[in-house]
Amino acid sequence: MYGGGNTFESIKATGLENEDPIKLAEFEARIERGEKIEPHDWMPQLYRKQLIRMIEQHAHSEIIGALPEGTWITRAPGFKRKLALMAKVQDEVGHAQLLYGAAETLGKPREQMLDDLVSGKSKYSNIFNYPAFTWADSCFISWLVDAGAIVNQLANARGSYGPYCRALERICAEESFHLKYGHHCVIHLATGTEKQREMMQAAINRWWAPMMHFFGPADKASVHSEILMRWKVKMSSNDEQRNQFLDMYVPKIWELGFTIPDPKLGKNEATGKWEYTEPDWEEFKRVINGDGPCNAERLAVRRTAEERGRWVRQALLAPKTQYVAPLA
Amino acid sequence: MNKSLDPRVNRLNIPTGELTPKVPLDQFGTFEVFVQIKEGKGYRHEGIVHAPNRDMAFLFAKEQFSRRFMCAGIFVVETRNVFVTAYTEDKDNIYSHISDTYPEDGEEEQYEIFHLEKRGKQHEHIGSVPAKNHQQALALAKPNFIDGDPIYNVWVVKTSDILFTEEEDKIMWNTLPEKKFRDASDYRAADKIKEFKERQA
Repeated sequence: MYGGGNTFESIKATGLENEDPIKLAEFEARIERGEKIEPHDWMPQLYRKQLIRMIEQHAHSEIIGALPEGTWITRAPGFKRKLALMAKVQDEVGHAQLLYGAAETLGKPREQMLDDLVSGKSKYSNIFNYPAFTWADSCFISWLVDAGAIVNQLANARGSYGPYCRALERICAEESFHLKYGHHCVIHLATGTEKQREMMQAAINRWWAPMMHFFGPADKASVHSEILMRWKVKMSSNDEQRNQFLDMYVPKIWELGFTIPDPKLGKNEATGKWEYTEPDWEEFKRVINGDGPCNAERLAVRRTAEERGRWVRQALLAPKTQYVAPLA
Repeated sequence: MNKSLDPRVNRLNIPTGELTPKVPLDQFGTFEVFVQIKEGKGYRHEGIVHAPNRDMAFLFAKEQFSRRFMCAGIFVVETRNVFVTAYTEDKDNIYSHISDTYPEDGEEEQYEIFHLEKRGKQHEHIGSVPAKNHQQALALAKPNFIDGDPIYNVWVVKTSDILFTEEEDKIMWNTLPEKKFRDASDYRAADKIKEFKERQA
């Protein structure tokens, strides 16, 4: 599970003035009653657009997210770790397919989504534009990036769109393995040799800033975000999710004797909120817009997969031919 | 391209410069997938796959929907072969809107009936009826379901349009015991943490 909490560009106008007020009221009443919205139900354009974008970005994050972890499959330490990492990467790619299927119920074809990914038109979770230098980086992703995604996805699973919730239910059920596996890998390094501990600490130092970026910048208070909360498209704010992640996982990192590269990081017991150095949002924007260490490679891999698999798909699509004896 | 940290990516020898552009949307068809979670239980709609034909749809469905969950059977049907009724709300049973008259054309064949019994849930396989066409199958199913809990939506599919799991294929659902590495239960580490903390103290 790899989706991040952020929606990368916000829609400027709500467009609600063009919607039928009676249908809109019925739609809102249904959500208010706790019922799910299904593909055949009437829904405002804003709801449809926002969900397509959200589910599509989540799906892209699953397939692109398989790349940095996949970097270490061939060199994972030992047969069992190789098997487990392969199983995890296979799960993630399967999750992407489930999510594309859910987004397709809203009217955007899967192939269109994949085209938009390759052309750079639609985004994926920014954290996967960073490289996995060592095996410990792969362990960080398996444990903590997945943990961050779980915080986000458990929230979204309570959302209002039926097909997305059902896909997330299946996805969440597979996540317990990912999280346990990742934690197990990190514990192994933490309790190992001095060199192993150094590797893990270096990975934490490298990944902390992207991890803080993962949940996105603080939501701006706007009519738009208020509507999306009311429609149960967005279930909690980026800051709430970041706080929940820190609350659950910082103690587990400290427990293993590691440090986190942020001198300000700590829980304010009075407010119950975590305090930290404000992440560098300029860097975040720069990387999202294409200038990260791995953006080009991630997309090149997808583009090459499309190009080199094309002849197979075209051969399968060709109309059936019929055998006859040769003429001469 | 710069050298990647991933040996698999380096082996791709990705050329620099533009690749040949892709043709616009040349998509595979859409297939609906139904899964039986346990022998003796009913089949339930689980999702879709895209595939060039039914056999490949079945293989993709097996990869996608029996990866880790219990699965005793799968069947697939191309989406355009599913006959769908309107949807109803509240206590309104869709069968009360189904006409008792129906066209008589076609050869008699078997049809499968699927019900949506609760909003927010998935369609479930209910049974089959012999009929000459989809409308007739729906009308013949009606007397059995007009009373009782409301049904919100019905799907009707010609049995011959479905690819079922054959009895002899069921061996594919057997999971090998040495695949424990795919389960969370295989990654217990509380003892290791405890021991580590004691060493630190």
